[in-house]
Amino acid sequence: MRPFRLHEPTTVQEAASALADAGGGAALYAGGTELLLAMKSGLLAYDTLINVKSISGLDAIAADGNSIVIGASATHSAVEHDPLVRDRLPLLSEVEHGVANLRVRNVGTLAGNLCFAEPHSDPATLLLVYEAELDVAGPSGSRRIAVGDLQTGSYETSLGPDELLTAVRVPAFQAGVRAAYSKFGYHHRPTLGIAAALAVEDGVVADARLALGCVSPVARRLSRSEDVLRGERIDALTEGASALREVSRLASEDADAVEDMHGGVDYKEHLVRVFMERTLLRALAKNGGGDA
Amino acid sequence: MTTREFKTVGTAVRRVDADDKLSGRAQFTGDIEVSGMAFCRLVTSPLPHARIMSIDASRARALPGVYAVLTSAELVNMETHYGSDKKDRPVIAIDKVRFQGEPVAAVAAVDLATAEAAVELVEVEYEELPTVTGIDEALDPSSEPVHESNFCHEYGYEWGDVDSAFRECDRVFEDTFEFPMVYHYAMEPHTCIASYEPDRIRLWTSAQHPFLVQAEIARLFGRQLDQVQVVVPFVGGGYGSKSYTKIEPLVTALSREAGRPVRLALSVDEAMRTVRRHAARGTIRTGVMNDGTIVARECTGYVDTGGYTDNGVRVTERFGDRMPGPYALANVRVKTYGLFTNSTPAGSFRSIGGPQAIWVCESQIDVVAHALGMAPFEFRVKNLVREGEEVRRGRRPIEGDLEYALRRVADEFGWDSWTSGPTPPGVKRGIGFACGVTNSGASPTSTSLVRFHADGSATVYIGSAEMGQGSRSVMAQIAAEELRIPYEKIRVVASDTSAVPWDRSTGSSRSTTLMGLAVHDAAIDIRQQLLDLAAEHFEAFPEEIEAEDGRASFKGESVAFAALVRNMFGGSGGELMGRGYVTPKHASGKLRQDPVFWEVSIGAAEVEVDTATGEVRLLRYYSISDPGKAINPKQVEGQDEGAAMQAIGHTLFEEMLYEDGQLLNPNLVDYRVPIFTDLPHEFETVLIESGNGPGPYGAKGVGEGGIVCVAPAVANAVFNATGVRISTLPLTPERVWRALHEAGQT
Repeated sequence: MRPFRLHEPTTVQEAASALADAGGGAALYAGGTELLLAMKSGLLAYDTLINVKSISGLDAIAADGNSIVIGASATHSAVEHDPLVRDRLPLLSEVEHGVANLRVRNVGTLAGNLCFAEPHSDPATLLLVYEAELDVAGPSGSRRIAVGDLQTGSYETSLGPDELLTAVRVPAFQAGVRAAYSKFGYHHRPTLGIAAALAVEDGVVADARLALGCVSPVARRLSRSEDVLRGERIDALTEGASALREVSRLASEDADAVEDMHGGVDYKEHLVRVFMERTLLRALAKNGGGDA
Repeated sequence: MTTREFKTVGTAVRRVDADDKLSGRAQFTGDIEVSGMAFCRLVTSPLPHARIMSIDASRARALPGVYAVLTSAELVNMETHYGSDKKDRPVIAIDKVRFQGEPVAAVAAVDLATAEAAVELVEVEYEELPTVTGIDEALDPSSEPVHESNFCHEYGYEWGDVDSAFRECDRVFEDTFEFPMVYHYAMEPHTCIASYEPDRIRLWTSAQHPFLVQAEIARLFGRQLDQVQVVVPFVGGGYGSKSYTKIEPLVTALSREAGRPVRLALSVDEAMRTVRRHAARGTIRTGVMNDGTIVARECTGYVDTGGYTDNGVRVTERFGDRMPGPYALANVRVKTYGLFTNSTPAGSFRSIGGPQAIWVCESQIDVVAHALGMAPFEFRVKNLVREGEEVRRGRRPIEGDLEYALRRVADEFGWDSWTSGPTPPGVKRGIGFACGVTNSGASPTSTSLVRFHADGSATVYIGSAEMGQGSRSVMAQIAAEELRIPYEKIRVVASDTSAVPWDRSTGSSRSTTLMGLAVHDAAIDIRQQLLDLAAEHFEAFPEEIEAEDGRASFKGESVAFAALVRNMFGGSGGELMGRGYVTPKHASGKLRQDPVFWEVSIGAAEVEVDTATGEVRLLRYYSISDPGKAINPKQVEGQDEGAAMQAIGHTLFEEMLYEDGQLLNPNLVDYRVPIFTDLPHEFETVLIESGNGPGPYGAKGVGEGGIVCVAPAVANAVFNATGVRISTLPLTPERVWRALHEAGQT
């Protein structure tokens, strides 16, 4: 690996200024689990890495109203084990437990995972159904964006060259929401991820949020499938109503799956159908309320 | 036959290197620093097949901190090519590159950062040539030749009257199976430090065969053997990837150019472009009678040896030796071919040609059994070669009872009473079996020296490289047993060509059998000297002396070995030296025939197939290991389970993927090796000690048997579960789903 300078800012503003000053020659660095691999293999080269871990308080996890605010340097393990997250966002804790392996979880960060924008990400898919928001800071102040507006392509985000993600804000599901996440694959990164969150009222799906990731460069919500689910009776769905197949069919149509080492397009579309049904049935089986 | 009582042999003693490895003190090549050492980085070819039109290293050489840049222009006053069977590998690419990642230039600099910066300043101009990818393109006469032609080696043998047998048998089956390119993934990638000096060459390297490296370096640089010292510290896994000579000639040539020691430590990415296992295709025609008797097998095989021969000659031959299987066959014809392609050169890998051959052989045995309506297990038993019969004409007869071994595995597995039990919708379970014999042992040539010290302790000198297999512990056990002293009093010095006597190699499951015999004989040589000294001491005959626990005794009196040695030298010091020579003419008479022994492999698998996704889960796996005599039972199990675990990789996940000659997955994120969560819930080694090996105490090697049966056992189990035969590895979910889908099973 080519040598680089390590800049250790103590404030977000300092980090943003350092990014702006470097004019593209610098990268933000938190866990380094993706970035350093790419640098070691020569795919990326930076003169300067800006270590956001030196910014005090950026790893905090705290409640803000109905949301849990996860600081940008909080590791996957910290998120997984945080009592607030376990209590209010149990599905996020569960999914974080399944990210990569223990070594990655202990140093890799949730925010870093989102910003690196590798297409095969569990949290990027899951956070779509939580309708999480992101706090973004730049030299001229900060803004808040929906998590779905961050990633624009493989390894590409909408962040400006002098902006950094400072926090991930995850609202807890309403009471009565049944949620589940499924992943599949034999590579270290998932081949497919599907998240489902269903608000159930009087045995009927009042609202549905479905997200699909990993089969294409950017994780997405599946609005046509969500529309079909709304108003469906859950006992009919559990018994395999035709709506279940319709939801799965639309999901595979809307997947925009691409061929890569994880599989061909037809195989991925098939997996979307299989796992959409499995995920919905798992979510519906959780009749105890909350998202666990 | 009396059963001998052993003190340490047969016991799972604590490894002699346990404390060093657990504490992190154990020294690997990468831990060594040599004064004045420069750091090397490689300029490698981005193209898989090209002529080198020019190399301009002037800007790199001018960079401050750069000591030297090696290109083919510097390969003067030395031999330029090396290799174990065919010397076709240039020390660094000459005129042409034959695979992506082939070293074209090498930089030595004051530190790695400078070397990396210099690499970017070396300008190489290429003229691209058409790429040859895979067996079909290598066989296509219109393809660009990688060398003079794309044929590396041809091998074959035949007995009986094959054509008549096929005409006269009841049914003939022909099937073709494919085995992927896979990488060893030794946790330590290849690492070497070379110091080229006026009167000698010193190397510290992660090599399995230190004396073969010594001979190759001496030949390349025109030195005497005694002027080349090869030191092999602990090796972080070999599996064949560090067999013969790999990066040592390049590093030595660069050290000569730089005028100082040079260190090169490869990355995983670079190691995957240094050596791999041969991809293979095998076709077997089998002629059978309706009663299930196999009357003829005709095997045709191809192995892809990549850009250079490396171990392609022997792999081509072993693939052919092993493909007909462990069956009594009256008529056999085998032809195998090694082919060049534009990919990483393929060399040794745990049981060379074995997993490929047994994959083809044992997949087809199930196909034939199913077509005949016979149970695959009974079909195998009916056709097995019997103990004492030749499994290959003119070779050593089979030295174990294969039917007994098969039945033992089946019994322990619960083969006959197995039922699928209830499964969720779309999930199917099945069981599969495979067996094979592999001709192991390499050449029966090793030597050992044992020094018995004046305090009753001993040092054992062996050429074997310690790469995790535990050879140092086994050699200490053998020496302790024969010297009649405690295991703790033995120290083992290994794999430094200036200190230890010659050994051929560490591979082919050979060390316990062959180096073990050398240590055994060297220790007995010393014991005899001690008995002679004791006889003198007691004024008795040597045969009348008892030797035990470091003391010699006669008629109720005893004397310490240490005292005998000190008395011999008339003072406080002195020592005895014992030697052991192992050659084909060894006095035991057991090493005259080839192979030195047959390694038996048997596997039984239970799998679960999710027909919706194609995912195959290995639920249970039973393997057999026959070490003849288990000198260290825990290490025997470790070898067998480690080999089977490694095989789960090529069975379910592992495959080096090439597209237009570019390796697509040169890292451990995209190239998936087995991890602990892939272990079956039940993973058992059935230990048989048949006592008939040619090594000490009837021991024989077990390092490779566990790797050969996993793939066919699993694929046979998938067939048993789904009725679908898959003929290409690995059994990835997508490949299995497509096969099920085509068969209308999803």
